[in-house]
Order: sequence, then structure tokens, then C-alpha cells
Amino acid sequence: MAFRPRRAMAVFWKDFLDLRKNLGLLVSMAVLPTVMVLVPIGVVWSYVRTPNHADLRSVAMFYDPNLPLGASAARFLIDKTLTDWFGMFLVMPVFVPILIASQSVAGEKERRTLEPLLASPVTAAELVTGKSLAALVPAVVITWAAFICFCVGVDIVAWPLVQMPLMPNALWTFGVFVIAPLFAFFGNGVAVLISARVSEARMAQQLSALVVLPLVGMVGGQVAGFLKAGLAYYALQGAVVLVLDAILLWASIRLLDRERLVSRWG
Amino acid sequence: MSGIHVEGLGKRFGDRTAVEGLSFHVRPGEVFGLLGPNGAGKTTTVRMLTGLLSPSEGEATVWGHRVDRDGEALRKVVGLLTEQPGLYDRLTARENLRFFMKLHELDEAKAWPRAQDYLRRFGLGGRDAEPVGGFSKGMRQKLAIVRTLVHDPQVIFLDEPTSGLDPESARTVRDAVAELASEGRTIVLCSHNLSEVERLCERVGVVKRRLLAIGPVRELRRAGQALDVRVDGEAERFLNVLASLPFAPNVLAEGARLRVMLADEAHAPDVLACLVGAGARVHSAVPAQRPLEEVYLDLLQEGRG
Ligand SMILES: Nc1ncnc2c1ncn2[C@@H]1O[C@H](COP(=O)(O)OP(=O)(O)OP(=O)(O)O)[C@@H](O)[C@H]1O
Ligand SMILES: [Mg+2]
Repeated sequence: MAFRPRRAMAVFWKDFLDLRKNLGLLVSMAVLPTVMVLVPIGVVWSYVRTPNHADLRSVAMFYDPNLPLGASAARFLIDKTLTDWFGMFLVMPVFVPILIASQSVAGEKERRTLEPLLASPVTAAELVTGKSLAALVPAVVITWAAFICFCVGVDIVAWPLVQMPLMPNALWTFGVFVIAPLFAFFGNGVAVLISARVSEARMAQQLSALVVLPLVGMVGGQVAGFLKAGLAYYALQGAVVLVLDAILLWASIRLLDRERLVSRWG
Repeated sequence: MSGIHVEGLGKRFGDRTAVEGLSFHVRPGEVFGLLGPNGAGKTTTVRMLTGLLSPSEGEATVWGHRVDRDGEALRKVVGLLTEQPGLYDRLTARENLRFFMKLHELDEAKAWPRAQDYLRRFGLGGRDAEPVGGFSKGMRQKLAIVRTLVHDPQVIFLDEPTSGLDPESARTVRDAVAELASEGRTIVLCSHNLSEVERLCERVGVVKRRLLAIGPVRELRRAGQALDVRVDGEAERFLNVLASLPFAPNVLAEGARLRVMLADEAHAPDVLACLVGAGARVHSAVPAQRPLEEVYLDLLQEGRG
């Protein structure tokens, strides 16, 4: 069975068109980036507003007992926030493809559109490729757009204190362009596999969404001071996800065939 | 090998047997009717013949493609109208059709006018820019039929094509089906509408897990060895003369019609000679036919026993 890119692109075209007309989904997709951008800007702003507040130093000392006396605690906390928030920011590239892919795979079953689709010449591999692209492209574009807004917002808010652009820094640039797509691939893979098994988009979404819990947990560990985030730390996360991506890809190719999709109609 | 060849086809889902030992052939240009009660295995059969389900036993060839091996090539030449229309509600009618043109890698500039012709014929002309979500049940069904035909398939499977259609639309669809067959396409029609099957199909198969009967509609409807004769005036006048014939043990008269049960078909000319001899003016004499519905229900009754 030859892989025909035109057929995969047809699936991508259809899903993307459908996404553009799905107002409910667009709204739920927009909420996450908004929160992801506004929350850290707000935190940075609160540090900048009262840089000499005595309590800031105590908080900073909690994370780094060896903080030099002359160093600005506000600046230290801003840097820490920016570094930790990247872990939270990664929830977005995982979650957006889950929202889209659950709709597009389990949704086809739910609305009984899968049978005519599978009766066309499209192969399972083309179908998964088209659908994955339709979930990945918006996820990555949204992540990048949010990143730009985030950089601009943080720089504007932090300017009175630091008098120089803080963002984009090396960690975020590497993270958003290299690690985030790997995470998006992961979220999509999980959603596609789960959607192929269950017959309702909602259920697929809920089950797939569980994968963001470890991410949130790790950010919790950072805030609690157990985990110390940095470039190497995130690069390690990226490497783990890369391995998971490879496993998911292998599993999707093995597990998704026509018969399985057709006979598992709920 | 054109047409459809099915040999000992069967499908099990776990320990439930949906279909077993199905064998039949359909010639190009023929409309073959698949009849059977709910859950008889019609849709399952059609799914196997379009490569959606793999058979548990037996084999089938559709337009020269083995259904268990050449799935992709097979799906290029078949069109399947599924039981449920399965359209994308947020997309317009045109976008729904364009998607399938793309999946078939068609030149849209050529395929679209053809699709538009069908849309117009089915009364959907001018509504192709509306989202399908706002279409009525019958409109969806008709759009799904157009989608089945966008790639000009050689073999067409129609699973209850006229369900939900008003009488006029149903007729338009029937005309289109007849026309497609006359162009040499092979058509399999699953339906619960017996009069529709009778009008469209030359041959039918009655299934209930197994094939209960198969053959030309006229043959299935043959009511034993009986002859229907239409004469001028009251048919009753000839009851006595016919009753004297040794090979016509049973005769019924109703209006201008006589039904003569024969011991042997070979005696049909003798019956006519006798009638003419008795002064009857015979308009027509045909082998008696039972309504398809009666034949169908009897078959199912026997199948149960
Ligand atoms: N995916 C499946 N899994 C398990 N059983 C199935 C599946 N598909 C069909 N069946 C069973 O196979 C049998 C035949 O079903 P099928 O849909 O082919 O009937 P049908 O003749 O099309 O009926 P109808 O006239 O109601 O459309 C039924 O008993 C059904 O429950
Ligand atoms: Mg059916």
C-alpha cells in the first residue's frame, strides 16, 4: 500500500476546515494560551511593582539560601518564575492537540462519518498523518504565537526594574522551538490512540488529558523547591518525550487498521 | 473479471455468526437486490465487499479485486452508500463533496460539474454552499448518494438508498440507479422496500445469515404451476368447461381473470385451446405470479422452520 501525500493532505484540509468552523472548540483552545501568557506576566508585574518589599528576600532565600546580599531578590524571583513557568507552558502544546485530535478521530466515529471515509481509498497511515497534522500545526502555531505575546508582555512589564529585554532567552527559545513540538507530537499520539479505542470524543478528551498531570506535578515540585529547573532539566524532559513519541508512532502504525476502527464502533 | 463474485463468504463477530456460506454473482449492468430482515447480515455483507471488514471465511472478488487483499485498488472502483449518511455537519454540501474528490485524487474542475448535475437532479441545486447541519433527513440522504457517485464508480453498493425520501425523490433516485446500471455499472441494492426492489432489480437474493433464495424476481414470484388468463367478459362462464379437463384440477375465476392450476406446465397450450374452443376471446395468458412480499414472507417462514 503506497502512501499518497495527496490523500493525507485531503484529510488535513477537511479537518482544518472543520476546526475553523468549530466555534466551541476554538474558544476552549483560546482559553489555555490566554492563561499561560497572562498569569506569569501578572506574577512578574507584582515583583516589579514592589521590588524592595522585605518579604521578597525571604521567599528568594527559600529557593537559594546562598543568595548574595547585594543581589536583587525581585530580579532573582523573576528569573525563577520565567524558568519554572516554561514547565507549565509545555502543558499547552500537549493539551491543544488532545482537544483537536480527540474531536477529529473519535468525533468521526461518533458522527458516523468514519465508515464512508474508510470506504474511500485513503489508507490508515494517510488518515493518521492528515489528522495528526491537523492537530499539530495549530498546536505549534498557537504555542509560538503565545510565546511571542509572552515575550513582549514580560519585557514591557519588567522594563522599569531591569531596563533590558529579559525575553526571549536561550531556555525559552530552545524550549519553544525544539521541546514544545516534541510535546505536541506526544499529546497528539496519545489522543489518536485513545480516540481509536473509545467511541465518544468527550471520553477520548478526558482520558487523554490525564497525561498533562505529570507535567503539572513536576512544576509543583519546582515551586515546592524539590526540583531545580534549568536548560538541562528541560532538555532531559524533551529527550524522555522523544522516546515516548517514537513508541507512540510505532504503536499507532501497528494498532490502527481499518477493521479495528470499523468493528469497534460503540 | 468484472462484476461481483462471492464464494462461501462468512463473517463472525466473536461467537456470533452474522453471515455464513454466502455465494452469488452479479453481472456488470445488473442491479442485484439484497433482501432480508433486520440483522440478517446485509450491511455486514456490503462492508465485506467494500473492504471495510475482512471475511472470516470464503472469498469475494469485486471488479477483479480480491476483497481481502487489494483493499486500496478495490475502494477506488467501488462507491458505497452507507446506512447512515455520515456527512460533516459543519462543512457545506460542496465541501463535503470536495473532500471525497480529493480523497479519490480527482481533478475537481472535472468532477464538480458531474456532482452538480446530480445535485440539481436531486433537487439540491443552489444549496451547495449551505452547511449540511441545516439539511433535512432526505436532503442528507440525497447528498450522501451524490457523494457515493463523485468518483464515477464501476461498482456501487447502496444500503437502503431511498430510506427517508419523499416519493418524488425516491423515484428520481430509482431513475438514476436504473440509468447507472444501463451504463454498464454493477449495482447491489439493499432494501426493505419490496416494490422498489421489484422495479429495479432483475435478480434478488434473500438472506437471513445464510442465503435463503436467489434468482430472477419473476422466477421467485412464480406461483407453482399456475396460469393467469384474461378473457373478454365474465370469466365465470368458462369454469365448467375447464373443470372437465383432467390436467387442471383447480380453477378460480374473478372478474375477467382465470387462475388455472396445472399438473404440468406443458398443458398450458391445451388450456388455451380449450378456452378458445369454448368461444373465449383470450387477451393474455401468463404464468401466475405471487406478490413478492408474499414470497419473501414465506421464505423467511421456511427459513425459521
Ligand atoms: N461490529 C459488529 N460487532 C458485532 N456484531 C455485529 C457488528 N456488526 C454487525 N453485527 C451483527 O451482525 C448481524 C448482522 O448485522 P447487519 O448490520 O449486517 O444486519 P442488516 O441486514 O444490515 O440489518 P438492517 O436491515 O437492520 O440494516 C447482527 O446480528 C448484528 O448485531
Ligand atoms: Mg443494514
